[in-house]
Amino acid sequence: MLEVEHLAVSYGPTRILEDVSFHVPRGRVVALLGGNGSGKTTVLNALTGMVRPRGGAIRFGGQDCAGWRPDRILRLGLAQVPQGREVFASMSVAENLELGAYTRRDREGVRRDTERALALFPRLREKARRRAGTLSGGEQQMLAVARALMSGPRLLLMDEPSVGLAPNVVGDMVAAIRALREEGLTILLVEQNVGVAAAVADSAHVLQAGRIVHSGPASGLLDDEEVLRSYLG
Amino acid sequence: MRQPVLLGLAGALALAVLPLVANPYLLFVGNQLAIFVILAVGLNLLVGYCGQLAFSHAALSGIGAYGTALLKVHLGLPFFLALPCGALLATAVGLAISYPALRLSGLYLSLATLAFAQFTLWVFMNWEAVTFGAGGFRVPAPSYPLIGAGLGTYYLSLALAVLLALAAASLVRSRLGRAMIAVRDGEVAAEALGINLLRTKAMAFGLSAFYAGVAGGLQALMLGYMAPESFDLFHMALMKAMIVVGGLGSIAGSVIGAGAVLFLLEGLRAFKGAQEIAFGSLLIAAVVFAPRGLAGALNRLPRWRESYLRRPARDAAP
Repeated sequence: MLEVEHLAVSYGPTRILEDVSFHVPRGRVVALLGGNGSGKTTVLNALTGMVRPRGGAIRFGGQDCAGWRPDRILRLGLAQVPQGREVFASMSVAENLELGAYTRRDREGVRRDTERALALFPRLREKARRRAGTLSGGEQQMLAVARALMSGPRLLLMDEPSVGLAPNVVGDMVAAIRALREEGLTILLVEQNVGVAAAVADSAHVLQAGRIVHSGPASGLLDDEEVLRSYLG
Repeated sequence: MRQPVLLGLAGALALAVLPLVANPYLLFVGNQLAIFVILAVGLNLLVGYCGQLAFSHAALSGIGAYGTALLKVHLGLPFFLALPCGALLATAVGLAISYPALRLSGLYLSLATLAFAQFTLWVFMNWEAVTFGAGGFRVPAPSYPLIGAGLGTYYLSLALAVLLALAAASLVRSRLGRAMIAVRDGEVAAEALGINLLRTKAMAFGLSAFYAGVAGGLQALMLGYMAPESFDLFHMALMKAMIVVGGLGSIAGSVIGAGAVLFLLEGLRAFKGAQEIAFGSLLIAAVVFAPRGLAGALNRLPRWRESYLRRPARDAAP
């Protein structure tokens, strides 16, 4: 569904991504692992049009969308859950969800997707009228995911959804990602937490200094000494 | 109808019958209040709701005021045309400076708009052939059907203040308003949801400039006299004080803040030097003791849900 070929990104003279290639097949959960500064978030930002790639191709459903504007890419079906949640603190949970459907005009579809998102995260339904800034960290993360789902994406990009969450809340997040996969959603998961990636992903790619240094099935990640060492080191 | 709207309309009704009992001074204060409300609501759209700390509001209201007055003086345009033209001129200038200015953020946006404000004042003072320079000029009194000039401008200001405050309250719940608040609460998330950051900020800038222009035009009609110093940095600080004291991200707060600042301004009329000290203290007190402004206190009332208050920096997530 998503094919990234020889993606390169620079900020000014600094090369962030040298040569990144990977595929995300339809219906799968693919993890992108890497330490701080390895370029994980930059890959996502290039995919969603927040930064312009210097070179390479990004094909989504056969359509080359490298360098498109963010709203056009979103309409194509690629939505991002930003790092650090970034919910709109002064707005209610319901208003946050409405903004998730900012680019859409089909009221009926939006209502259906609101239902779907709230069914996935029942805690959000209870707190629909609360200001998002008053939610706990875990609830904010769920809201960020639900909000991204409101654009009706075919591929969901998640940027470190487990960061800063209590262990039991991380468990809820893992369950939610599995539920989304059951529904047939394709997911690209960026993580530092190898445990989360191994628990939900089908395959994984390890990013280091702007290159993919390892690719393989996610289930073997925790056993693979070499990967863990290079990834941690 | 919602509580804040009902209270606002009650206040407007009180102002509408004020002329029956008031002396000319109170009438002037009431008129100034209506104009301050328009200024504060307009500035809050840009600073409070959209989160863009600009310092051009006083200058843009000056452009609305000079535009209105000079169209009348030089071209003989009647005020019912000159006022909207002045407001649209302010809007156009606001939009024109917004595109370069909004590529900057934070402190740099503040500095760029401050420079624009000083430049505008310089034009008012030095383009003497058109603006009559630092000495200012007289604006002929407007004429209204049935009532006198003073009363006519009073009711016009009051009507526009009510209309523009209601429009702003409904705007912030619209698609554009929500986008503005989203840009303020999280630019990255807003962009990820397909919100065009630059266009949303520019719309907020243009709208805010329109409010400033209308207020400036009304100021010209009310005072009957125009001079550059009515639009200097002190007036910018006054407007900032209105929205900070009232609450960033609240229409009700803008209205209350405008009232509070006017009350202080008029109370200290006899002590010009004390005014600036008083406003400095008021601003510091608001920032320290009520970072969400008076609207923050109103939010504690049951069933009062009007505002999208900006979170004070200290409880923002690290």
